[in-house]
Amino acid sequence: MDPLAGLLSGFAVILTPQNLYLCLIGSVIGTLVGVLPGVGPLAALALLLPVTFTLPPVGGMVMLCSIFYGAMYGGSTTSVLLNIPGEAASVVTCIDGHQMARQGRAGAALGIAAIGSFIAGTIGVVIMTFFAPLIAAVAIRFGPPENFGLMVLGLVCTLFMISGSAVKGVLMVALGFLVAAVGIDVVNGRERFTFGSVNLSGGIELLSVVIGLFGLTEVFSNVEQRLKTTVVAERVTGLWPSLADWRASWRPMLRGSGLGFLLGLVPGGGPVTASFMSYALEKRIARDPQRFGKGAIEGVAGPESANNAAVAGSLIPVLSLGIPGNPVTALLLGALIIQGIQPGPLFMTQRPDLFWGIVAGMYVGNVFLLLLNLPLVGVWAQLLRIPYRVLFPVVLLLCVVGAYSANKNVFDLWVMLAFGIGGYALRKLEYDLAPFVIAFVLAPLLEQSLRQSLVMSPDGAMILLQRPVTALLLAASAVLAALMLRRKSSPKGGGGS
Amino acid sequence: MLERALNVFWIFLGAAAAAYAWTLGLIGPSGPESGLFPLIAALIVMGAGIALLFSSPVVPELPRGAALLRVAGVVGGLAFMALALPHAGFAVTGALAMVILVRTAGDSSWVEAILLALASVAVVMWLFGQVLGMALPRGPWGW
Amino acid sequence: MKHVALAFVATFFIGPALAQGDLKAELAKLKPRDFPTQPIEFTVVYPAGGGMDVTGRLLAKYVEKWTGERVIVNNRTGGAGMIGHSYLATQAKPDGHTVGVLANLVWGDAMLRAQGRWSLNDLEPIGYINSDALTWVGRAEGPYKGYSVKQIIQAAKDKPGTVRVATVPGSMWEYIVEQIEASSGAKFLRVPFQGGGAGIGALVGGNVDVAQGFYSEFRGHLDGGKVAPLAVASAARMDFLKDMPTFNEALGSSDYLWQVIRFAVVPKGTPADRKAYLGAAIHTAMKDPELLAEYRKFGVFFDPKLANSANLAQDLGAYVEAERQFYVKTGRLK
Repeated sequence: MDPLAGLLSGFAVILTPQNLYLCLIGSVIGTLVGVLPGVGPLAALALLLPVTFTLPPVGGMVMLCSIFYGAMYGGSTTSVLLNIPGEAASVVTCIDGHQMARQGRAGAALGIAAIGSFIAGTIGVVIMTFFAPLIAAVAIRFGPPENFGLMVLGLVCTLFMISGSAVKGVLMVALGFLVAAVGIDVVNGRERFTFGSVNLSGGIELLSVVIGLFGLTEVFSNVEQRLKTTVVAERVTGLWPSLADWRASWRPMLRGSGLGFLLGLVPGGGPVTASFMSYALEKRIARDPQRFGKGAIEGVAGPESANNAAVAGSLIPVLSLGIPGNPVTALLLGALIIQGIQPGPLFMTQRPDLFWGIVAGMYVGNVFLLLLNLPLVGVWAQLLRIPYRVLFPVVLLLCVVGAYSANKNVFDLWVMLAFGIGGYALRKLEYDLAPFVIAFVLAPLLEQSLRQSLVMSPDGAMILLQRPVTALLLAASAVLAALMLRRKSSPKGGGGS
Repeated sequence: MLERALNVFWIFLGAAAAAYAWTLGLIGPSGPESGLFPLIAALIVMGAGIALLFSSPVVPELPRGAALLRVAGVVGGLAFMALALPHAGFAVTGALAMVILVRTAGDSSWVEAILLALASVAVVMWLFGQVLGMALPRGPWGW
Repeated sequence: MKHVALAFVATFFIGPALAQGDLKAELAKLKPRDFPTQPIEFTVVYPAGGGMDVTGRLLAKYVEKWTGERVIVNNRTGGAGMIGHSYLATQAKPDGHTVGVLANLVWGDAMLRAQGRWSLNDLEPIGYINSDALTWVGRAEGPYKGYSVKQIIQAAKDKPGTVRVATVPGSMWEYIVEQIEASSGAKFLRVPFQGGGAGIGALVGGNVDVAQGFYSEFRGHLDGGKVAPLAVASAARMDFLKDMPTFNEALGSSDYLWQVIRFAVVPKGTPADRKAYLGAAIHTAMKDPELLAEYRKFGVFFDPKLANSANLAQDLGAYVEAERQFYVKTGRLK
């Protein structure tokens, strides 16, 4: 079935009252889940999975998918307003988004985030519509060496994100690797750094780390300073991005969309990695990178587009190959399987109604989310008027519930608290925390894919050069690293040690 | 002072982690073993700690007096939640923790604190329990 | 005519409805007073969306149907199941509100990794669910296209270390490879992955030559003509793939039995009446033809010995003992 015909048939399927209603519900819940710090799409999907049993397959899947990308829309809200990420894929939005809020430009930041998300989501779905089978055929050939190349590239990009002392930044990256090693070594099944603790054998939960490092430290800092009664002293001026904002943002949005989509395709990639890499890219490309960290709108436009595009990208391996790349898509796969549907190479031809219904649902969902989120910008901005002494305990309560919701394990609360205190101390000593998080996310994938590659290869490390894509990615990483070192040592460059 | 102490901490942490990683094995017949990557990371941490000893330390603004009490209050409230949650359930623990948080860190009166605590716990329980269907821990009294 | 019509209605409508009503009534009779006071939790120790999770959710749905009580599925993940197993064995309150939906992978955790913190005695089996046999699949293209399992093993023997097989370290995915290598002298190149599904993805992409998994994991690719089933490690051939031999047939032995056995447990100390009620509820659900049909779609089978077992703990115990013997023989246990 040719794409346009398929798409039209998909719209025919989706434009029924029930399916539209389910899409709307999913969008609302997704936005809500994104806004709540700590509760991410995975938790929401797991909780709502049983609801899909009684729903027809298209409606149920559309609802679940709209929760997934709805969360990417909502996640920027608390990041911008409170400097507390709604979930891991919105951590980078805190950096410049909140600074914009402090300058009274919360409306512009939220607006650009919403619109960027819409553009990226739509671009992602368009690519899916026309290129899904082709992309799937290419994505399937991505083996451990290619993954390794990509992770190395991601790691080099992390180094671009380091602001301030380079030594401290490198230390944070190394520490991220170290903490990520706690748990079970997937390559040989052995326990590392667990010291006999059952809780540690499960590894350190990313959500607890993110909420602790960014949520709690922010609250500690604010509480310490005996605020200012509200988060932002200035009135929110203008709820709409200015023309200058647009001019600055449209290219980062497009770049973020492309980058995010590609990263979504790769197993282990996804919205989190996409948002970080988009930020690093924008910072690297900018003519005056010193603006980053002080309210550069590119630092919001890029990552927020990237995380939405990554959602579309990550759906392709699941729907076209039946291979999930991250826990959320694994859950979507499970939802389909429970319905008796087996996604795979034949899914598009065997169940075109379902495939195109889901794709059409994504178009519709993106529109719903834009319509939902834009007017809400004004509402959210009012949140800033609530006195902090009322706001922060509620936020903390939500953080606790959010951290707990990941594994229902109280141990995660202690992890959150420990990282909160640690992050607070490190911030005082001018350590940048973002590199720790991205290293923490990338390290297991990097290590696993390298070791897998070496095991697979009869020639040892040569496999990395024998496979063209890997060699290309590694070469690009080397070039980028060289460029970065040059920039750091030149007087024009940012930060020194 | 604090920064110097932290640098020394990094050095010890790096050394200890490196030693532990060493015992995990470094290179095996099919490539790196469990210990290699952690060893490299630990050595970098140690090296960075040493390098930082030679640079001028940052003098942080540490919270003192009332500010310190506020931060400690927040930490205490959170720790209380983590301790009591499995035993007393979310409703009670959450409300008590909220009261602690609001009173130590803000200017609110007891009345405000208790009202806020009860209201927010109720909303959260409704939101998570009914809307999202997630079961929050219950105390021995069943809720 | 009227009698025929009545008989028709009675057989196809009233009969089953009455029977259903009967079963429900039977079950209700076993329900202890003031139980349950809150939703029953089915603890699944693997992430949402996976095979175990899907199994647990389907079971929960049908137990809800037959008991009328609310059942929610809770995923307590981490440590490849260890966290959930430890929770069930040491922390879960034995008041009947927690039921673990486990696989026989818990036996490995208990014997090799629990380090004395808990043992299998802390978990009491109350109902058998289903079994899934490990299957070897090869690529539909590439150098080993069209090979039978015997030919592949021969290739691994002739050219040791060249045939790449996807394994999951520390589990039956690895044990079966060990077993085959030990008995045939072949040497495979084991490429580690985090789960069977990842290995199958690698297979389709040409990054490994043999992948191991369950029918539900490779069915999509099979239908798409990308993979070729080689052999299954069960006692009898699979209904869905009648042309695929069992390992025992292909290699002339009876040792190659590697399956995931799924069953439900309650923590030790759960009151006997609640335990009996829960066991009966699961048993009743497992007789529901709708549930059985849903499970069959995943290519699982129902081990007759366990499905009709009078003493589940004992019959499972036989399998536990066989696994323990394997660990002793291969030097993992003293």
